This record gives sequence, C-alpha cells and structure tokens, in this order.
Amino acid sequence: MSERHLLTGNHAAAYGALLSRVQVISAYPITPQTTIVEELSEMVASGRLAAKFITVESEHSAMAACVGASAAGARAYTATSGQGLALMHEMLHWAVGARLPIVLSNVTRAMAPGWSIWSEQTDFLSQRDVGWMMLFAESVQEAQDFVIWLYRVAEQVYLPGMVAMDAFILSHTSEPLIIHDQDRVDAYLPPFEPLYDLDPAEPRAYGGLVARDHYYEIRYKMYENMERAGPLLAEAGAEFGEVLGFPYGAVDTYMLDDAEYVLVSAGAMSSNVRYAVRLLRERGIKVGMLRLVVFRPFPFEEVRRHLGGRAKVAVLDRNMSPGHSGIFAQEVRAALSLGAPATDVYGYVLGIGGRDIRVETVIEVVEDLLAREQPQRCLYVGVKGLPIGPARPGAEIRPLEPLRSEVAP
Amino acid sequence: MGELTHVDDYPEVPVSLVPSREVLHTGEWRNMRPVLTGRRAPCSGACPAAVPVPAYLHLLSEGRLRDAYDAFTLRNPFPAITGRVCPHFCETACNRSPYDGPLSIRSLERYLGDAAAGLPLRGPERETGRSVAVVGSGPAGLATAYYLRRSGHAVVVYEKRERPGGLLRYGVPEYRLPEAVVDGEISRLEALGIEFRTGVSLGERVSLGGLAQAYDAVVVATGAWEGQEMGVEGESLFEPGLEYLEQVARGRLDLPGRCCVVIGGGNTAMDVARVLRRLGGEVTVLYRRTAAEMPAIAEESAAAAADGVGFEFLALPRAAVKEGGGLRLTVERMCLGAPDASGRARPEPTGEMFEMVVDAAFKAIGERADLTSFPASVRRGPAGWLEVGADGATSDPALYVAGDLATGPATVVEAIGRGRRVADAVNARLGGGYGLPGWMLQEQPEVVGPGEANHAYFRRQARSEDPPAEARDGGALAEETLTIGAADALAEIERCYSCGYCNHCGTCFVFCPDVAIGWEDGPVFDYEFCKGCGICVAECPGHVLLFVREKGDE
Repeated sequence: MSERHLLTGNHAAAYGALLSRVQVISAYPITPQTTIVEELSEMVASGRLAAKFITVESEHSAMAACVGASAAGARAYTATSGQGLALMHEMLHWAVGARLPIVLSNVTRAMAPGWSIWSEQTDFLSQRDVGWMMLFAESVQEAQDFVIWLYRVAEQVYLPGMVAMDAFILSHTSEPLIIHDQDRVDAYLPPFEPLYDLDPAEPRAYGGLVARDHYYEIRYKMYENMERAGPLLAEAGAEFGEVLGFPYGAVDTYMLDDAEYVLVSAGAMSSNVRYAVRLLRERGIKVGMLRLVVFRPFPFEEVRRHLGGRAKVAVLDRNMSPGHSGIFAQEVRAALSLGAPATDVYGYVLGIGGRDIRVETVIEVVEDLLAREQPQRCLYVGVKGLPIGPARPGAEIRPLEPLRSEVAP
Repeated sequence: MGELTHVDDYPEVPVSLVPSREVLHTGEWRNMRPVLTGRRAPCSGACPAAVPVPAYLHLLSEGRLRDAYDAFTLRNPFPAITGRVCPHFCETACNRSPYDGPLSIRSLERYLGDAAAGLPLRGPERETGRSVAVVGSGPAGLATAYYLRRSGHAVVVYEKRERPGGLLRYGVPEYRLPEAVVDGEISRLEALGIEFRTGVSLGERVSLGGLAQAYDAVVVATGAWEGQEMGVEGESLFEPGLEYLEQVARGRLDLPGRCCVVIGGGNTAMDVARVLRRLGGEVTVLYRRTAAEMPAIAEESAAAAADGVGFEFLALPRAAVKEGGGLRLTVERMCLGAPDASGRARPEPTGEMFEMVVDAAFKAIGERADLTSFPASVRRGPAGWLEVGADGATSDPALYVAGDLATGPATVVEAIGRGRRVADAVNARLGGGYGLPGWMLQEQPEVVGPGEANHAYFRRQARSEDPPAEARDGGALAEETLTIGAADALAEIERCYSCGYCNHCGTCFVFCPDVAIGWEDGPVFDYEFCKGCGICVAECPGHVLLFVREKGDE
C-alpha cells in the first residue's frame, strides 16, 4: 500500500532511489544535498535498501564509481549540488558516451564565488550540452517520482538522466509525499538489463580510441536515442499516472488555454507563479503559465503549440548565461523560430543566488511585461537600486579603496 | 572487424568489436623500448662470492625454500656459515641504507642456511671421469671441492688435521660459528661423494708432485696459519693467537691467566680477546695504531668493546720478561705518522715507555702462509707469496691455489668466492661444469645505484636482526644470537628493493597504459603495442627494466 508522509524534497529523492531498487550508490555529501546521502546511507546500513554504498573523496570519483557500477550491470544512483556537479562534469560526459543509464538528483545551487549554498539553476543548466536527460521537479512528490520515471526511460534509451531540485525551497521544505507501493513501482520499473555485459570470458576494450572515420556514427546513435527519449518520456509519464496515480509530461500548464500573456517557469518557483497567475486573473489580466518539466530532450512541439501566437511571453529564468540571457529564454526563442506563429519573448532574470521569488515579484514582472512595447532579450529583476530593465550601458568598474597601510619607501 | 559502411553497422558505444587491440598498432610509435634483462644488485656486486641476493630472497618469500637454496648455492654453498661470520659487504652496499637502514641480509642468509639444513646440495649433472685433489679443508678448500664435484669431477680433499673444516672448525670461535654447523656442511659434501682424507700433511705422506701424478689437477688451499715474528725481546713468552683459538676449539677451556693482553688489531686479535673475556679473563688489546686503522671487522671490534674488552691504542710491546707466574711487558707509546703502503697512518715511536704486569699475553699480528711444500719451480711473487692469477692459476698449469694462501688473510666469503672461481678455472681446463639459470646469465653487469631505486614504493620499517639467545645453555662459548624467525624473515624480505632482479611485484603490469605487458610467470612485453612511454621503467621499484633506444633511432 502506498503511504502518505510529510517529508522534505531530499528525503523524497532518497525514497525515489529506494523504490527504484538502486544497487549502487556513490555520492559525496555537499550542502544542500547532504540529507539525500544521509538518508540513503541509513537505508543501506539498516538493510532496507539492498545496495552497495561507495564512499568517495570527490564528486568526480562518485560519478566514476557510478560509471563502473552501471557498466557492470548495476542500477546506479548519485546526488550532488553546485560545485559538486561542476566537478563531476567530465565524468558526466563519460557516463553518457558509454550509454550508462545512471540517475542523478541535483539540488541546484548558485556557483561560487561568492560562496553560496542557495538556490539557482545555473549549475544544472551548465550541463546542458552533455547529453543527459534533464528534468525540473517542482514538488516533493516530483523529487521522488522523477527518479523512478527517469530510470524507466533511461534504461530504454541507455542514456543517463538528472533531476533538478531547488535548494532549500524544495530540498529542505516538507510537503506531503505519497510513497508508492513497492510492488506497483516494480510493475512500472523492470530490473535493469545492461546494454553490454562486462564478461571476462570475452574481454573487450570499452571507451577506447575511436578514429575520425567512426566517432560520428557512434555519437549519432546517442543523439538519435535522445530524440527517442522525448516520446518515451511522454509515454512513461502517462503510464506513471495509470500505475502510480501521478501522470507526468514534458510540460505542465496553468490557465493557459485562453491566455494572451504566458509566464514560462521551471522548478519550485512555479508554485508561486501559479498563485500569481490566479491573482492576476482576478484583476482580469488574461495570463497563464507554461512550466517546463523536461528540459532535455527539449519539448519543441509543446512549446511551439502552447506559446505560438500569444501576445507576449515572459520567460522567468533563475539562471543566467552572461552575454546572452537566461537560458530558458534562449531555448524558448529557438523553439519558436522553427515555424511557429509570431510571438514576442521577453527574458526576465530573477532569483539569482537564492533571492526569493515571491508572488509579488511575479506580479511585478507581469506589470512590467504589460507596460513594455518592444520585446527584450534580457531584463534583470530586483537588482538593488535599479528598476526592472536591461543591463546599463557604460557602467563603470569601481574597485575598493586599498586597505593597505602606508609603507615607507 | 566487419565492414562499417552504415551507421546501423556500429555498436551503441565505443567498444572493441573483437577481443583484441588489433586496430591500433601503437608499437609503431615507439623509439625506446623497455627490456627485462636484469641488472646487478649492489649487494650482489659487493659480495666477494657474488651471491644473487634478491633472487634467493624472492624465492624464499614465495615459500620456495629448495629453489632459494639452489639459487644461493650457485655462488656460495654454505649460507649457514657465512650467515653467521660474514662481515656482510652486501649490507654496506644496500641501496636501502639511506632510507631506513640496510636490509638485514646476513640474518636472512643465516635463516636460509638453517631452514635448508635438511636439504642436500645439488650434485653433478654428469660425471666427467676427471679427478681433482684439493689440499686443505677450510672455506676455500670446501667451496672449491663442492664446485668441482658439482661440475662432475671426482674430488678428494686432503686435510692435515684429524677432522676437516680448517679455520672454520679450528679458528673461528664456537660462539660465532658452532661446530655442529660446520659438521652439517661437511656431511653434505660427503653425501655428494667428496672424499675426505684427514691426518694427511702435505710434505709428509703426500707431496704436490705425487698429487700431480695421481690427479688431473691439484688445488691447494692450506690457508695462512704461520704466526709472524715481532722481533722483540721475550717474544717466545707470547702465545700465538691462532694456536690458542685452535686449542680452545679442541676443548681447552681453562683460563690461561686472569689478566691478559692481546697484541694486534685484526680479526684474530678480536676473537682471542672475546674468547678470553668469555672464559672470565680481564682482557686488554694493545694496538699500535688507533681504532680507525684497525683491520678487524668494525662489528667485531665494537662487539669486543661491548663484551668489556679494554683497548690500549698507540701501544707497541718492546720487551717481555717473566715475573712470578706471569710476565712484565715494556710498552712503547706510539704516534701516527704519514700514511704507509696500506694507506693507513704509519705508527711511529715516541720513546715514551710504560710497563704492564699481566698473567698471559697473546700475539695476533697477522699470519702468513707456509710455502715450504711448494717446489721452487712454482713462481713466487713480491712479498714472498706465490704468484697467483685471479682464477687461482700458478706458474704450474696443473696447480691452483685458493683462499688465504692466494690472497693473504681475508674473510670466509672471500675464500668461498675464490674457491668457486678456481673451480671455474679448473673446469675451463678439464671440461665439466653446471648449468646456470637464464636470469643469472642475462644479468647486466652495471650495478643498480642508490639513486635508481624507487623508495616511494616502500614503507619505512626498521630492520630485523638476529635476536639474542636468552640463556647460554651451551656454556661460556655458546652462540649468542638466535636465527631470525620465519615471520620476521618474511617481513624483512618485504623490505628488499629487489634491485635489478624481477621479483614479480607486478608494478609494470599495473601501470602499463596500453595493456602491452602480459604475465607469464613474470612480465612479458608485447612490442606490437608497447608505444615506448617508459612508465614501466620509471615505476619499476627495483629498477630492473632497462630503457633502450630502438635501432635506427639513435
């Protein structure tokens, strides 16, 4: 029987791994991910989860251990955050190039310096081009369920996947969580069948040198399977609803059907966006929300269908690609350029370094959106002393006055 | 590999399509190649008998006692003897010394000797039908006899005393070398068919001429036993040290006097002093130079001091007269002058005299060989010794000499080393010999230097030494130390860098980034794929591998 508990997003992620019957966990603790690892280590130590827990000295090694475990045929899981994900970067490429269906929960965290432990999605989105499937969880329930959903598809296309969970807002906030009945999860997620056996009786070299005349074909297969992952995620998300009661899809919508203005959001801030939409609707403003759940493979079809032809679209980015704009804004514009009805896309950057995105913040953004006549590439929201607007031309660099004392010549 | 003309022909990931590395012949990139030839270890290089130390230690560590004993006895048939009395030139040369102290090679040698006490020595592979007489049964005579017998010759050993062993039995005191150990080695030689004819003196019942008639070759190894004259008044009151040691070996355990002096600074002097001390005497060594110039093995002189033997340096007796039951010595105080021919400072008289009243005095100022049985036709060299080549040959082609007779007073291990080389020289003339293993034949002569060993592969660990014997059950002259235990021996072997000798540590196998090193009872290089990166050479803990330029890449 499924059970209802009050748990944090991090504990929910650990339950996602437990219900997925992961066989190897290798992780390095890092705030704000630590309680995922703590919970899993207790599950393993108590015998509740029959898995090998490999402690390591770095996130790079954690992913290396997962790569080895997955290559040997084990279902492997890890979790990290911010700097840890960045340190893992090289091994993320290895995992996907070796076509190993590893699942990773990343508690998003602003990158240092200044040293920060608070929420921002730039760490996660910096892994955009590695080739992993990428999902954004909004709730504690999704923090658990997306792990299971990802394993299901990862093991069909032999590609790894990662789930983003906002630091503290999701990782450390308790919400009701339905912990699914194990038998039902087992029915949904069959045991892992590795693509290749590591068989000492038939030794082969894995991941060796590939000359220029072969590399592209092997990569092409990887690209092609990432394309397959879109429909498979949709299918498996629908089946998740049938078997486990929570249907998931590549996007989530709120009051979108008749909306003239659309707010594009991702992750935990979407709850506040949803509430702001309701308040604005009460004022008679025809606004709706499109939440991106799956970021890779990117849901081009859904984005074009839901956003094409709207009066204005505001993309809310808790991330930044300096010199360009928020990353979702880029992605949405790119999707709309592929033959969708014309729509003006306004990019808003907000919530950087874990600054709160309140309902009022979202309302301010919509008021700004309504007032603007020209679409804007990148608008900064909530910088102290500045109104919402683009970067200032000709800003001066002003270093601190030197603190050194006078030194005699 | 199948044809890869369509993307669907490809595997999902970069995996070799066949279980081999056939695609990339990385060996074509190479301009240097690692080779496993073996090099000489410094211990082995410093050993007068050239014992292959790393090889026998490796075999011991694998539990292969028989093989270890065989490897050792290719160079020295008596590990139980040298394991007790050797001044261990090997340890002095050990590359581990600057790290945490040299390997306890002598202790391990003694361990091997005792562990192998029940094993027979390897005998001849085939008989040559030739016969050789060996005169003298000290370390040189016994070693020569063994290697000649192993080479397939019939060997008869002539010994003037009633039992064989020479200096080993009659010169080295029991506490350093128990007689039972000597007996054990001689039994093993007898078991190989070596005949010992004892109580036969050269010049009395046999002559060199007669032996030359009866045998295909004659090797003389009668040692250096003759005391020298100091040329001082009352010298006849001094008992010759070596003769005294022989009497002790024959059972004379009464103290010749409570207060004794020993004149000389060599190994015989130390042995005499320490024996007297053990029998309860108060002993002072008189030496005409200082501690730094003493020819005795430093370890022995330090042990004598630790035993309570007193040292009077820069002291040379000039006269002795009887006084009561003892004697009164007049001693001149010496001082050090310019270096002499031996490179040591020459002792020079000061004219200052002092007197000592003692109960007994012993003279141990070096021994000479008795050459009276050699006919004048055998050429003499300078200083009145025989003219001897490095291989023991004399001017008489059928006559060879070995040991102290050839070299002057030296160590047991030098006598053994000379003995084996003399046997090789006899073989070169008569035919015969015995096979050597490939690793020994391949060994390059350059010694692995101290800067070449990879200390990083070894934990610091203090060396083990022979543990002290708890109680002297065997009397005043019983052996003072025990043989190291098996566990300690294995732990000590772990300390060996195995310089120049592949002990199958597997480091190269693990490090090779191209899987170009296979394993068939040791590393095997696959030059088809070795790209010559040299990592194996750099990492090899004992610097066994050589890195040589490929032909055409000079």
